[in-house]
Amino acid sequence: MLRSSLRSARLLGGKPVAAAAGRQWSVAASQRAPMLAKRFYADQKTPPVLPTSETLSSERTPPPAQGPVDTTITSAEIPPTPPPPPPTSTSAAPKSSPPPKKKKGFFRRLRNFIFTLMVLGGAGFGAGVWYSRINDSFHDFFTEYIPFGEQAVLYLEELEFKKRFPQAPFGGARHPDAVEKVRIPAQSGASWRVADKTEPSERRTSASPAAKKATKPSESKPEEAAKPAEPEKKTVVAAKPVDKVSPEEPKTFKAAAPESKDKPASKPLRSIDLMSLPDAKEPIVRDLVHMLNDLILVINADGAHNKYSSTINKAKDEVLRIGGRLRDLKDDAEKKAAEDVRSTVAEFDSAANELVRRVEGSIAQQEVAWRQEFEEQMKTVRESYDERVKLLLEREQKLNEDKLQNQLLEQAIALKKDFLKEVESRVEQERESRIGKLNDLSAAVSQLEKLTLGWNEVVDTNLKTQQLHVAVEAVRASLEDGQHPRPFIRELVALKEIATDDAVVDAAVASITPSAYQRGIATSSQLIDRFRRVASEVRKASLLPDDAGVASHASSWVLSHVMFKKQGLAEGDDVESILTRTQTYLEEGDLDAATREMTGLQGWAKTLSKDWLSEARKVLEVQQALDVIAAEARLQSLRVE
Amino acid sequence: MSETTAPRSPSAISRPVSEALLNEKWDRCLSNLLVKSTLGLGFGVVFSVLLFKRRAWPAYLGAGFGAGRAYEECNFNLKQAARDLKKPSA
Repeated sequence: MLRSSLRSARLLGGKPVAAAAGRQWSVAASQRAPMLAKRFYADQKTPPVLPTSETLSSERTPPPAQGPVDTTITSAEIPPTPPPPPPTSTSAAPKSSPPPKKKKGFFRRLRNFIFTLMVLGGAGFGAGVWYSRINDSFHDFFTEYIPFGEQAVLYLEELEFKKRFPQAPFGGARHPDAVEKVRIPAQSGASWRVADKTEPSERRTSASPAAKKATKPSESKPEEAAKPAEPEKKTVVAAKPVDKVSPEEPKTFKAAAPESKDKPASKPLRSIDLMSLPDAKEPIVRDLVHMLNDLILVINADGAHNKYSSTINKAKDEVLRIGGRLRDLKDDAEKKAAEDVRSTVAEFDSAANELVRRVEGSIAQQEVAWRQEFEEQMKTVRESYDERVKLLLEREQKLNEDKLQNQLLEQAIALKKDFLKEVESRVEQERESRIGKLNDLSAAVSQLEKLTLGWNEVVDTNLKTQQLHVAVEAVRASLEDGQHPRPFIRELVALKEIATDDAVVDAAVASITPSAYQRGIATSSQLIDRFRRVASEVRKASLLPDDAGVASHASSWVLSHVMFKKQGLAEGDDVESILTRTQTYLEEGDLDAATREMTGLQGWAKTLSKDWLSEARKVLEVQQALDVIAAEARLQSLRVE
Repeated sequence: MSETTAPRSPSAISRPVSEALLNEKWDRCLSNLLVKSTLGLGFGVVFSVLLFKRRAWPAYLGAGFGAGRAYEECNFNLKQAARDLKKPSA
């Protein structure tokens, strides 16, 4: 399409007008044909143009389709497409295309094509006819849209019908009528309809040959009805006329169709009257009427109206009679039935009343009986319940008694327990009180024991102190005794043994230097004697300087003889005064003060008096220790007391 | 002399008593003087006989030397004793 449009556009757009037209849009659109505008658009830009242009292009497209290109395509397309639509288009194409190509080949092809077309069309038509017989919807479609379809289908149906009913070519002619007849009786329940409608009657009247019989059947039908036997004969007769009529049938069939509408109108009217009124409901009568009608039709067809009219009338009368009889019978039956119904209803009513009475009575009796039973039952139930209540009451009483007894027992047990507890507690209290008294007694005894022990201790300590006193006295005696110093180890040992644990005595003994009690100490007289010697020596060295030589020593020795001796408690720190003071203290017996004075010496004097000082100290120590021990002994004796 | 000897006797058993220290030193000094003076005298006599034709002054000189030496020793001892005394006291 694009190519074609482009080509066309080029061919037409080659003109110089195209550009002008493109510019003068409105002018071109209004004045010139849309073709130019189209060309322009095809040339320039927009292939999808206005709808008008498309229509124009479609108009243009055909010319190229007529070209050689299309013919080749069509030639290729022809063979594969048998269906009807392509042939129509191709038929147009080949007409134009063949002339330029070979004439012989084309004709052959055309012939073949047409032949195939015809064959296919015929086959399709046949298939359509055949399928229309199978499918109803296709049948409708086929008969409507395909020419000669309806006729062909109808013909086929007819042929088939003939095949099926070879003896009924005549009946086949009457077929529509027969079908209708059959239909009407099928709707026999609605026969009144048929009677009302004039059209069916008219048909039949028209179907009946003579107008005379139109009046007759109404009269004759009762007669025919009266004759039940005759229809059988007529059926037999009817079989004959069928054979006779059969040759004539095809011819008369089409013609008779209109005639039959006129002829049967006379007879069927009667028959319809018969059927319609009372006996139409009776199947027997209906059948009879049908048979009669058939006979009448046959007779009419034969045209032997005159012969059988009387008999038919009789038969009609008979039929009518039968109908009347049947009616009467029916009425009688209905009456009887009504009477029966009434009687039965009455019976039923009476029976029902009786039943109701009986039921009421029985109900009343039952009620009474039930009441009695109910009362009895109630009594029994009451009795049983009373018994149960009694039982329950007894049980509850028993239970209560048991409970009370249990409670009493529990209370008794509790009281016993309390009593036992009280007794136990009181016993324990008494026990505790007695035990407490015993404890007090034991405590008092123990205190007494302690007291005795303390007295024993006091006695012991007294003894010890006495022994101490004795020992101390022994030591003092040993010290003061005699002119020579004596060791007093024994006395000291005895003293220490006596005062075993006394810390003071131990310390006092320890304070004494061991040499004192091993060698003994000098007595006061010895000390004084030695002091005199020491004093003379000290006086010799009293004038010595610190760093004294031979000369100073000799001078001090010489001068000491010359110096005056002092007397009494002389004052001053010089050696002479100290010596005189110590001498006086010693003479007084105050050894302690004498030793203190002597310790104040310095230099050679000190060294010279060193031995005497140590002696004096020993004596002092011993004396002090003894004093301490004596004081201790005294203190212990005081403590005890 | 009698005074000095008296105290010595008791102290002779053990170490000298403190009051007899000075006397003891004096005794040693005197003995020392005697010995040394006699030694010097003897050396002077020998020298006077041998060298100085029996003259008197070498004998005296020798005795003088001996006495001088003894003196010096005694002096030294006393001072030493005084120093020893000071040390413990100090």
